[in-house]
Amino acid sequence: MTRTFGSSLLALGAVGVVTAVSVGLLPVLGLASAALLFLLPVLLGAARGGLWPGLVATLAGASAYNFFLLEPRYSFRVHQLDSLVSVAVLGVVAAVTSRLATRLMAREAEANARAAASEEAARLSALLAAGPADEALGAGLAFVAARYAPVYLLDGALPAGSDAGFSSLDLSAAAWALHNGDRTGHGTETMAAADWSFIPLALRSRSDQAVLALARPSDGHPRSPAELDQLQQLALLLGACRDRASLEQVRRDRERLEQSEQLRRTFLASLAHDFRTPLTVITGQLAQLAQRDPAAADALVAAGQLERTMADLLGLARIEDGSLVVASESLDVIDSVGAACDAVALPAGITLQRAVPTDLPFVRGDPVMLHHALANLVDNAMRHAHTTVRVSAAGTAERVEIVVEDDGSGIPAADRAEVFDRFRRLAGSDRTAGSGLGLAIVKGFTEAMGGDVSIGESPLGGARFALGLPGVPEPVG
Amino acid sequence: MSRVLAVDDEPAILRLLGVVLARDGHQLVTAGTARDALAALGAGPGAIEAVLLDLGLPDRDGLELLTMIRAQTTVPVIVLSARSEVTEKVAALDLGAADYVTKPFDGDELLARLRVALRGSGTTAPRGGVLVHGPIRLDAARHEVFIADRPVSLTPREFAVLEVLVAAGGRILTHAALLETVWGKAHRDDVEYLRVVIRALRLKLEDDPGQPRLIRNEPGIGYRLC
Repeated sequence: MTRTFGSSLLALGAVGVVTAVSVGLLPVLGLASAALLFLLPVLLGAARGGLWPGLVATLAGASAYNFFLLEPRYSFRVHQLDSLVSVAVLGVVAAVTSRLATRLMAREAEANARAAASEEAARLSALLAAGPADEALGAGLAFVAARYAPVYLLDGALPAGSDAGFSSLDLSAAAWALHNGDRTGHGTETMAAADWSFIPLALRSRSDQAVLALARPSDGHPRSPAELDQLQQLALLLGACRDRASLEQVRRDRERLEQSEQLRRTFLASLAHDFRTPLTVITGQLAQLAQRDPAAADALVAAGQLERTMADLLGLARIEDGSLVVASESLDVIDSVGAACDAVALPAGITLQRAVPTDLPFVRGDPVMLHHALANLVDNAMRHAHTTVRVSAAGTAERVEIVVEDDGSGIPAADRAEVFDRFRRLAGSDRTAGSGLGLAIVKGFTEAMGGDVSIGESPLGGARFALGLPGVPEPVG
Repeated sequence: MSRVLAVDDEPAILRLLGVVLARDGHQLVTAGTARDALAALGAGPGAIEAVLLDLGLPDRDGLELLTMIRAQTTVPVIVLSARSEVTEKVAALDLGAADYVTKPFDGDELLARLRVALRGSGTTAPRGGVLVHGPIRLDAARHEVFIADRPVSLTPREFAVLEVLVAAGGRILTHAALLETVWGKAHRDDVEYLRVVIRALRLKLEDDPGQPRLIRNEPGIGYRLC
């Protein structure tokens, strides 16, 4: 307003100067050139103050030209038609010039504002790109706060109202912005009566939306749409930085998890190592002694039991922490049964029968897990049998079942469901030296391989364990 | 009968090995570190006839030492380790170990493995000669196989697998090594090929193919002749 007024006064002054000069020099200049001189105040007024000073200069200039220079002079009357035309042309030219100058000025102002906005966004970008994302986000918020107004980042959840001095309307506006990803609050069309403006960090509704809360400008003027647009751009930059921060957080969490997994695996491996080395010395020396002293033979058996319990514990730890890596390859049950039977010592008085048909389809599984599971089943059967343990297999290309059965006292139907539980030892099984873990391992390993294990009654009189695995279709090659 | 180098950082294990090996009349040389082991092996050709190697040494990884021993000499190495991971065993065998025994070990089994390893070293039969293992007699030049003097007709693949097993003289061969030798590098992982041929061989060679005594499998590792 003041600028328009000042420019108008200046333009009027310029009209006065031009009038004085052209009156004095009229004989030398001629009317046409004098008319041109009157365009100068119009340009001056329009360039400095825009349309209105330009129009003021146009009217004043046309009047002065008519009054002081056109015949009859010192009157507004016009005698000749050409004089009327020159006044009119002066007026039109002045009006057009002032409009053009005004438009130019507006463009310049717009360009300046855009440049300032881009520069601001670029500076924020640079700030956000430097250093770890979570620290950069803090610096970015401080940057916005320093330039606009106090600011909060509402990340996913609403704050307690009193913390930032939010009214209930502010909180509603914040909730709307968080939920829908719209701009709300002061300066916007949604809940404009709120004291704070809420600007989403992403332009769409998403579950992990965050919102920038900006206090009303301290000088009291309402926040303009242009300022809100600029703030939205800055908020998007902050949003990208926040996404980067959460990705970094996810990566750090995963690394920590991997480290602890690694630590646990290393621990289990070193535990096995730390057990086995002394056990080697104990069993080795006992084996020497046992050749002369039957008491040492008992100790040797006990040490062997200790070793098996340790292996079962480690196997179970692996099943439970989910770190089992299961291989899946084609296996010949003849190999698996043979190795399992070889791995278990045959007690005196027990006969081991094997019946694996030589045309049995191969199975798919993990060789080491299947070995461990079968050895545990055979070991279990040996400990419960009176005279006979039988290992057999049958099946098709879809499913092969390996059966381990004995002629012991069997397992009552009521107890069968619990046999595979950890540390489960059925009543009356005191003479058996099992750890109570062996069958839990059988179940864990078999299921990890995609197989199943069930328990029933054997025609021999004792328990019958059936371990089912997927078969392998007829091989080619 | 032989000078055997035991490399282990546990003195109690070394003492135990001394007692066990004495049963077969072997003389034990001990080393507590990889550096001592290399020094003992470098003492002179023929001084050491077999090595028992623990993988957990204080100054160097056991598998790395194994590679260095292999680069230096052909003496058979039996890995004797508390590490029981199959991948570790396969890695050791593929790096040239003659066998792998897990702690705690059975003394008689260790001695048996040691006998096989000692027999295998330096006694490779001339190419094209006749190889004998237990009841199996294999004439590579004539492409003939006899089991207890009874001729057996084998396919070329079966013959090739059996030839590699017999030549190993009871040492274990990993699945990958067998597949690579007989089928080529591209088929290292095609265990099923090997299973098919082994089953066919058992049907032709074993008294009871459902309870094989000649061709034995170690789960996840490989096959050996007994």
